[in-house]
Amino acid sequence: MRLTALFILAAVVALALQSGTLHWLPLGPLVPDLILILAVDLGLKHHSAGAAVLAFAMGLATDALSGSRVGLNAFMVTLVFLLCYEFSRHLWVASYGVASIVVFFAVVIKDVGVMAVTGSFNGLGGADPDMIRMILTQAVLTALLALMVFPVLDSAKRLLRLPRRAERE
Amino acid sequence: MSGVLLLLSAHLLSIGVRDGSLAGKPEALATEMVRPFLLLNTHLADGTSGIYHDYLDLVGVSRENRRLKERLARIQGDETRLAELELENRRLAELLELKDAIGLNVVGADVIGSDATGLARTLIIGRGAAGGLKSDMAVICGEGVVGKLVAISTNAAKVLRIDDHNAAVDAFDQRSRARGIVAGVVDSGMVMKYVERTEDIQVGDPVVTSGLDGIFPRGLLLGHVSRIKRGGPGLFFNVEVAPAVNFGRLEQVLVVTEPPPRFAEAGKS
Repeated sequence: MRLTALFILAAVVALALQSGTLHWLPLGPLVPDLILILAVDLGLKHHSAGAAVLAFAMGLATDALSGSRVGLNAFMVTLVFLLCYEFSRHLWVASYGVASIVVFFAVVIKDVGVMAVTGSFNGLGGADPDMIRMILTQAVLTALLALMVFPVLDSAKRLLRLPRRAERE
Repeated sequence: MSGVLLLLSAHLLSIGVRDGSLAGKPEALATEMVRPFLLLNTHLADGTSGIYHDYLDLVGVSRENRRLKERLARIQGDETRLAELELENRRLAELLELKDAIGLNVVGADVIGSDATGLARTLIIGRGAAGGLKSDMAVICGEGVVGKLVAISTNAAKVLRIDDHNAAVDAFDQRSRARGIVAGVVDSGMVMKYVERTEDIQVGDPVVTSGLDGIFPRGLLLGHVSRIKRGGPGLFFNVEVAPAVNFGRLEQVLVVTEPPPRFAEAGKS
C-alpha cells in the first residue's frame, strides 16, 4: 500500500515535470523519461503483481499527456517493466551505475518501440538518423538523471520503511 | 500478470479509445491528477522573477537600504507584471480579432503543458468537457492553426498539433489554389502530400485550410511552403511546409466549438 502511494505520488510529480518544467530547459524536444526510471526501479526491485499493475498504470497515465494513441505508452512501459524483471532475475543489480545503464537501454527500447508502432501505422519505412540521434541523447540524459532519482527513491522507501528491493529469488 | 497487462494495453491500442468510453476514464483521471501540478508550474513560471527579488531583499543590509530595495523590487515587479500584462493584452486582442474574423463560436484556453515524452507533438490546455470542449474541435491562435482536440477530461484537454506525424489537414496553396493534405513528419515540420506535378507551387506560398475536413474552418493559415522536391518519379510533388505557429511560445489558444458552416448545415439536415 505504501509502495503504491509512493509510486503514485512519484508518477504524478514525474508527469508534471515531464509535461511542464522540463520543457523550460534548453533541450529542444528532448524530455528525460522519469516515468521509465520509476518503471525500471519497479522491475529491478519489486517483483509483485502490484508492481506490474503500477507500471501499466504509469504508462497509461503517460498516454493521457502524450501522443494520440491510448495504450501505446502503457504497452511499452509494461514491456520495459517485464524485461527489467527478467533481467534482475538473472543478474543482481546492486549499484546505481548498473541500474542507470539499464535505464539507458530501457529508453532506447521504449522509444524505438513507440516510433516503430506509430511509424508502421502511418506506412512510413525506416528511421532517419536525426530521430536515432534524438533517441540516444534522450536515453543518455535519462540515464544520467536516473543516477539522482534512484537514491531519492531509495531514501523515500527508507523513510516509509519499505524494502528497497525484493528478496533475491 | 505482466503478460495480461501487455495484452490489455495492446487491446487498448488496437481499439482506439474514444472520449466518454469506459476505457477512456483512466486517461481522463490521470490528466485531472496531473493538471493541478501543471497549473502550479505555470504560476511558478509567472512568479519566478518576483520571488527572486523578494529573496534579494532578505539578504542582510541596513533597514533603510532594505526599505529602498523593497520599494525598488516592488517597482521592478510591477514593471515586469505590467510588461507581461501588456503582452497578454496584445495576445488576447489578436485572438479577439481572430474570433471576429472567423465568425464561429470559440472559447479561449491557456496552454498548461507539453508532450510528456517528446516523441509526439501534443499540448495540454487548461479547459475541458466542463468548458464545452469535445474531441475533434479545431484549436487555433493568432498566427494560424495549432491542431485539434484528441482527448478531453473535465478541466483539461489534449491537443494534437498539426506537425505531429499522426495529424493531417485538408489544405490548399493560397496563391495557386493547388490542393493537398498537410501532414506532420516524424523528425520535424510538415509536408503537403498529393500535390499534382502540374501545379504551380512556389517557395514562400501560404498554405491554408480548405475547410473540407469538417474540422478546421476554411482559410486559416497552416504555414508557408519552405521547399519543393521536384525530382524523382511519381505523380506528385514533395512539398515541405514550415508551420506558421511557433509552438514553443504558445500561451493562449482558441478552440472552435462549432463545425465549419457547410458541415453544420449537413449535420442539421
